[in-house]
Amino acid sequence: MCGIVGFLDKTDSAAPIGRVVLTMLNALDRRGPDSAGVALYPGAHDGALAEDSIVLRIKLGEHGDLADRTEHVVERVRQLGTVRAATTTAEYLRLELVYAGEPQRLEREIEAVADGIEVVSMGRALEIVKQVGSPQNLDATYGVSALTGTHGIGHTRLSTESRVDLSHSQPFWAHGSPDVAVVHNGHITNYHTLRRRYEQRGVKFYTDNDSEVIGVYLAERLSQGMELEEALTASVADLDGSFSYLAATADAIGFAKDRYAFKPLLVTETERFVAVATEELALHSAFRGECDVREAQAEEVRAWQR
Amino acid sequence: MAAVAGAGKTTREINAEIKRLIAQGATDVCVADPDAQHNLGVALLDPVQVTFDGSVGYYCAGMIDGPTVQINGSAGWGLAESMLTGTVIVRGSAGNGAAATIRGGTVVIHGDAAARAGVSMKGGVILIAGNCGYMAGFMAQKGTLIVCGDAGAAFCDSMYECVGFVGGNITDLGNDAVIEEPTAADRAFLEATLSRHLGSDRPDLLSCLPRFKKVVAGRRLWNFDKREWATWREAL
Repeated sequence: MCGIVGFLDKTDSAAPIGRVVLTMLNALDRRGPDSAGVALYPGAHDGALAEDSIVLRIKLGEHGDLADRTEHVVERVRQLGTVRAATTTAEYLRLELVYAGEPQRLEREIEAVADGIEVVSMGRALEIVKQVGSPQNLDATYGVSALTGTHGIGHTRLSTESRVDLSHSQPFWAHGSPDVAVVHNGHITNYHTLRRRYEQRGVKFYTDNDSEVIGVYLAERLSQGMELEEALTASVADLDGSFSYLAATADAIGFAKDRYAFKPLLVTETERFVAVATEELALHSAFRGECDVREAQAEEVRAWQR
Repeated sequence: MAAVAGAGKTTREINAEIKRLIAQGATDVCVADPDAQHNLGVALLDPVQVTFDGSVGYYCAGMIDGPTVQINGSAGWGLAESMLTGTVIVRGSAGNGAAATIRGGTVVIHGDAAARAGVSMKGGVILIAGNCGYMAGFMAQKGTLIVCGDAGAAFCDSMYECVGFVGGNITDLGNDAVIEEPTAADRAFLEATLSRHLGSDRPDLLSCLPRFKKVVAGRRLWNFDKREWATWREAL
């Protein structure tokens, strides 16, 4: 079991995405006590971020001198772009910078500073925060509930096949593809085959978690020019196993469900918002009385664009 | 009517309160703010009315025998699973596996049912006013599955003596499922069942009765030994 949630605000105001996503996630915490995380899009709201800036969330490592690593990473990034802000919270370094180069190069340069350093998210809009433990810990450490923006997705994990640590937690950023993030409930049974094919093409995998391959898959499809909904539709045929997953880009959110409907996913949509969650319990906790809920069908794919 | 305030209570507390009220003689219990919690109203064994005024989570009204359970909202996975007798009414939609393995009673879903409604049902009636998802009626052994809207893929796959009726389109039939002409008795049963359970809310459905298709097992997968026939009939 895992729990996944997603929320997209349709209005033009800055929505309380942190509070909404966290409220839904907290309602699902018993589905996965191992780790929790959110991918929020505060930067997608007008004025939240300078026009020419991007944001990175970087895992500095889980041991060692994090202050020293921060210094080295910032120093390295300054050779590639202009650092506008650098803040450290727990094991994360958050950077706002002006950078016009290839995202993959920036990621490579940062991760080459020291073993254990990993770019957890990158984009104009996206910020991922995840950690071992229950969703409640996220707010205590990172103040997630205070974040406003346009949309977000979240995950609470019960580990079934790979390690419990920050890197194996979800959401997964689609490395190298700015602003694309996924959360997944289920098992991708052709994971090893897909991973081998991607690795043969030089794609780096950061974990042994089968869900990571969904981000890699979507990044590839989007880079080929597909819209999010097209990529999600293609994935239903290309991914085997049981899955309900959510994907988000800078201006859209969507879901895909496997052909046998093995995993739950509830959807509610109003004129003001769209919300999706593994259980209706989560939708009720966030939108009491506002929900007309339905369960997504087998092979169903939906995407909503802002 | 006896009232239970569900807000802030755990599933265990709500269920204990319902059973306490019934034990004290209440015949009509209403639970406010069930908040989509799981396992509500399970194993109720008395002919009472229990209303959940809002949505419920997984396995609501599972293993019941006798009560009428009304849900003024949606229901999660495993609604009314393995019920023996009674009536379960969902005003909204139901999740995966609605009324799976029921032995008897009636389950009425005013909205849609997700995948696997009525899987392995062994009796009773399931009436879905809307559409149903993938593999409804899979290996259903007895009883009646009525879908007023459209039926998803693999409808009534590998079925035994259950009978399906579909008012809308069928995406595709499951293995061994075949369509046959409804009899006069079938039409009378459909009219009576829809009138009784949906007539006041969905009178439009009654005018659609001529469109209903009947789905039964083609019996090509039935390969048990005829010498076991009596035992098999007895088991059903």
